[in-house]
Amino acid sequence: MIAGEKATDVLVVGAGIAGMEASLLLAEAGRRVHLVEKTSAIGGMVTKCEEVFANMECATCMVSPKQQAILQNDRIELVTLGEVVGVAGSAGDFTVRVKQRAGYVDPVSCIGCAQCFEACPVKIPNEFEERLGQRAAISVPCAGALPNVPYVDTEHCLRFTKGEECTVCQEACVFGAVDFSQKDEEKELHVAAILMATGFELLKAPELERYGYGKIPGVHTAHEFERLFASNGPTTGELVLRDGRAPETAAVVHCVGRDEKDYCSGVCCMYSLKFAHYFKKKLPEARVVQLYRDLCVPGKSYQRFCERTQEHGGELLRTPEVEISGQNGKVSVSYPDGGGGRQNLDVDMVVLSPAMVPSAGTAEVAELLDLPRDEAGFLVEAEAAAPASSPKPGVYVAGCAGGPVDIQGAVAQAEAAVAGILTQGD
Amino acid sequence: MKGARMATAEGLDRAVVDLASRALKAGAADCVLMPVEVPAGDSFAYVLVRDAGLLERARALPPVMPVQGARALASFTGTMAGKKTLAVLRPCEARAAVELAKLEQVKLDSVTVVTCDCPGAVPLAAYLADGGELPAWTGEPTARPICRTCDHFTGGGDLHAATLGQAEGSALLVPLREKGSALLEALGLVADADALAWEQEAAKLTATRREARSKAHEELAAEVAGLSGLAQFFGNCIGCHNCRSVCPVCYCRQCYIDGDSWEAPAAEYLGRAQNAGSLRLLPDTVLFHIGRLAHMSLSCVSCGTCEDACPADIRVAQLFGMVAARTQRLFDYEPGSDAECAVPLATFKEDELHEVEA
Amino acid sequence: MDKQIGVFVCECGPNIAGNVEIDMLLEAAASMKGVALAERHKLLCSPDGQKFLAEKIAEHGLTRVVVAACSPKQHGPTFMGVCERAGLNPYLMQMANIREQCAWIIEDKEEATRKALRHLRAATARVAHHAPLEKLEIECNPDVLIIGGGVAGMQAALLLASGDREVYIIERSDSLGGAAVQFEKVFLAMRSAAEMIAERAARIKANPHIHVLTGCEPQEVVGFFGNFIITVGRPEAEPQQIRAGAVVVATGFELLAPEALAPYGYGEVEDVLTSLEFERMNASGKIVLKNGQAPKSVAILHCIGREERRYCSAVCCLYSMKLARYLKDKVPGAAVTEFYSDLCIPGRWQQGFYRQTAEAGVEFVRASGARAIEEGGRPAVKYVEEAGKENSRTFDMVILSPAMVAPHDAGQVAQMLGVEIGQSGFYAEEHPKLAPVSTSLEGVYVAGCAQGPKGISESAVQAGAAAGKILSSLVPGRKLETEAKTSVISALLCQGCQTCLKVCVYSAIRYDEAKDVCVVNEVLCKGCGNCAAACPSGAARVKHFTPRQIGREVAEILR
Repeated sequence: MIAGEKATDVLVVGAGIAGMEASLLLAEAGRRVHLVEKTSAIGGMVTKCEEVFANMECATCMVSPKQQAILQNDRIELVTLGEVVGVAGSAGDFTVRVKQRAGYVDPVSCIGCAQCFEACPVKIPNEFEERLGQRAAISVPCAGALPNVPYVDTEHCLRFTKGEECTVCQEACVFGAVDFSQKDEEKELHVAAILMATGFELLKAPELERYGYGKIPGVHTAHEFERLFASNGPTTGELVLRDGRAPETAAVVHCVGRDEKDYCSGVCCMYSLKFAHYFKKKLPEARVVQLYRDLCVPGKSYQRFCERTQEHGGELLRTPEVEISGQNGKVSVSYPDGGGGRQNLDVDMVVLSPAMVPSAGTAEVAELLDLPRDEAGFLVEAEAAAPASSPKPGVYVAGCAGGPVDIQGAVAQAEAAVAGILTQGD
Repeated sequence: MKGARMATAEGLDRAVVDLASRALKAGAADCVLMPVEVPAGDSFAYVLVRDAGLLERARALPPVMPVQGARALASFTGTMAGKKTLAVLRPCEARAAVELAKLEQVKLDSVTVVTCDCPGAVPLAAYLADGGELPAWTGEPTARPICRTCDHFTGGGDLHAATLGQAEGSALLVPLREKGSALLEALGLVADADALAWEQEAAKLTATRREARSKAHEELAAEVAGLSGLAQFFGNCIGCHNCRSVCPVCYCRQCYIDGDSWEAPAAEYLGRAQNAGSLRLLPDTVLFHIGRLAHMSLSCVSCGTCEDACPADIRVAQLFGMVAARTQRLFDYEPGSDAECAVPLATFKEDELHEVEA
Repeated sequence: MDKQIGVFVCECGPNIAGNVEIDMLLEAAASMKGVALAERHKLLCSPDGQKFLAEKIAEHGLTRVVVAACSPKQHGPTFMGVCERAGLNPYLMQMANIREQCAWIIEDKEEATRKALRHLRAATARVAHHAPLEKLEIECNPDVLIIGGGVAGMQAALLLASGDREVYIIERSDSLGGAAVQFEKVFLAMRSAAEMIAERAARIKANPHIHVLTGCEPQEVVGFFGNFIITVGRPEAEPQQIRAGAVVVATGFELLAPEALAPYGYGEVEDVLTSLEFERMNASGKIVLKNGQAPKSVAILHCIGREERRYCSAVCCLYSMKLARYLKDKVPGAAVTEFYSDLCIPGRWQQGFYRQTAEAGVEFVRASGARAIEEGGRPAVKYVEEAGKENSRTFDMVILSPAMVAPHDAGQVAQMLGVEIGQSGFYAEEHPKLAPVSTSLEGVYVAGCAQGPKGISESAVQAGAAAGKILSSLVPGRKLETEAKTSVISALLCQGCQTCLKVCVYSAIRYDEAKDVCVVNEVLCKGCGNCAAACPSGAARVKHFTPRQIGREVAEILR
């Protein structure tokens, strides 16, 4: 493919639920798709969850057929550990430079047996597990990650940090899949369109500090709680506090960071209610109180989910704000009692439901593409144009990269972006 | 509820035959389906007639039930579009017909069903050997065991000839559905007599029968508990599948158990014999009955034809009736009562059967 | 003819070989019925392993293949591909999972081997009964019929129409635009609704591949994905038949019926109107009370009907704020109060819209049970304060923001199409998260408020999504490939009870009245097996999952 010739390939940045959906539809339409994913695994934030609202279906069961389809589709070139490092050109004729970091494992030879992780002497906090568990310097994010191919983390592998000639993982691998001769590669792609599907993260410090996060041991974020409940998580699904006790009481605090960010993330009420169901499943005797401002349950099925949660014993407590303090292993949540004073709720665990913010990698790629972002860092949608379009012709946006949205909305946006891409230039 | 008075001075059978004749004459029916004494005079058979004269030896309620009336209906209503039939059936036969209509085996659109209060039937084998009379409502019980615990002995048709709670020599024709009212109208009969006496008598007897039924089920349940209990119950089964052949609800052209799915290589039989010590042949006796229960118990109306047909004297109807009572209760389903209520087999509710969840 | 089964056991390096006695498996396999050879290989999925497999198939003229290795999810397609290239129908291969289900989860080698042996015997017994399967290829019509010419319908049409695809919009009313024709502005940007509609309508008019039929409704739909025939009723003309490969349902919404609004004062108290009535009043230019005067105080009540309908209509909070802004613009000095139970303002800019509305002087009162009553001859709002106390306040005008409901004839249209209506009355999507615009009937899509209450932007996104699905699956010139493992109903055994039809969620079974049997449409059938499970006589069975195949497999597992 020469620059200047009309391209048909498509670049999809981000292999979360939106990126995967778009890639599969584009491949079905006959296009070649370059799916670039920053991490070593595909599936995005959904893979952190054990179950999803409102029908509480198994998240993995829901998403793994899509993941498998991506891995087995001849038209989809998956670039894991990949980043977009340069873009030039215009709609119908972009030249994109993609860097693929060396993972030092050959995906063809590797059969995913995990022998290499067990051998590795380095143990570090696992970011996918929200640092609640550990991983080795050669690892996959979690059990069941796809593609099931580990990568060497050069920021922690002794070969790179200390220049040591450590070959433990290589020796442990019977298939000779560990290959330290690999190099970071850069390749040039010629694509007709680019879809930004870089997703979200949850707000962290410093906004969470005032809720005791990081100081009070019983305070967790929503993603931490998801990993605690997850059967492939650091506690294999046991809901425990950091000291190993099972919480008897818990408070789920909505709208964390909402004021600072000045937007409602739209999904937190629902997943917070989901957490009540999580408790009901594993710790049915636990008392779980939701502290919320407004119940945001739009659409034909979400309110019933809220009603069911209450039927199962979930408590809802409306309050404009909360203050959190902790002592002696308990967490104290205080809130205005409506008569000028404050009430106290002593719990073992607090789960914070923070605002969604754009994922860390979004800003860099947006700059390369010269895409406008708003104050919160989300990609701006084009005004009065076809849905899922960015203001830049040939560049589309789907999923939380463009603003907080639920899975259903992200998938619809991805499909709409495909419509835009397939009719580009018509 | 109200009904039309019908004189039964010469007996119920004659009165119903008379009704049928008038229906034919008035054009309210093109043909009549009714049990008639067989030429040898020692049994009865369903007959489809266009000429009322041939109903000379017809009975509304023969002492036995050789062929299930719903089966008789199923054999011809499929292609009878347009022709109006008046069918005289026992309540259980009428209910089976409704079930078969739901299963697309009977077309009830142009059939008007007439039922009578049924005191039961006597066991077929005994009748064929020694004759007998229609069981009486009171006194020495001669009805089949399944009939003695029947709580659906009244109603079921479009027009019901009620004898319970009525004076001697008189019956009440109670229209239970629109077609029943239409028939009365076509015959120039007016439903202006109060049916309260019938309702009350029927309710009283139903309560008694229900109690008897529960008790019978309790006892039987204890007897057949566990696989060994069932194996013992069906110990004499010769695998003739008569019970299935005569059952109105078993409509399959070829039964699942006769299909090729069950064919196994000889090695497997030897293997099974080896594992268990011995293997009864022909195999899968109990499995056949369990399979039949799984497939049809929701629609079982406890008509008892299966038990009459069993050459090995197995209490098939009593067992099937007991299991059917449970499966029907699980889905809160009453077969034959409401043509609009779909058989639970073909329906799905998200919120059901929590009691069997893990 | 004796089947020539080739059994191949993969060592997967030490992964399987290290914890399963492979030689034992080979020995046992060699003596199984129909097995012509049993071989082992270090890594069957590798290029070398695949070559080995292909060579053995050719060399021995194998007619069936068993691969005992990892999960079929991982390499099923790989080995099916090898068979196909070697000239063997890919469905004549069966995998036995002796890695994830044996070697990797059982510590004791003997026990793992015993289990692996069961899996191997089961796969071998099963594959002997496999039949070759083919996918069908059928012609399809790439044209699309869109029912409903509102925002969603128009957006879908504009994306779908092209040189090789005609689009038909059938619209019940006599103009395009849907509910939005009644609005002056649309939130959040407060742009002109009329301009938005006019711009799209103009593009539609200018597009020779979009055909708009106004005053028309669908009467009958027959056919299936790729081959629908829709009969459209036209006013004062013969019905027209339209052929299309896909149908998009974009029939929009209605507001809660007036009878349901009576408890909230509608029709009972003067100067109580619905949000749509107020939109029309605002668009007409004069906001006045019944007595002709301008209102000095207006109350807007959110969540009308929310409790009864058991869902939140997602847009009312925002459009109520829009109505408040109309009032602030057009009737300066009017006091506007919004009564709400929960503020539903999800999304990037919605909270800002609310904040600015409040900053413009609109009062927001959290309340429950708000409704309009008559007080001293004037309307008043009776409500329960947040603190729990009952209160009432008089207003000149009360606007009700009622729940959105599906159009009154949605059920009939759904039945005509063969799709489901969900619990809340809206069209049921195929999957609430992963397939929001598909229905369980392939080829029929739903977009916009027909699928559930939502705003204009979300409706446009769904319309785009439906277009995306159609553009990628219904490609002009490309044939449709069907699922190979579909159900088939034996006409000899079928007794026409139609139980299978009732449990088929893909509308893939039809009843042939002439033959009194049920027939499966292989294009629509997804091989889910509901029919096979429900059929009491076994007349319906799914290819590749016949009772014989499953029976033999299970018999060996249990031996």
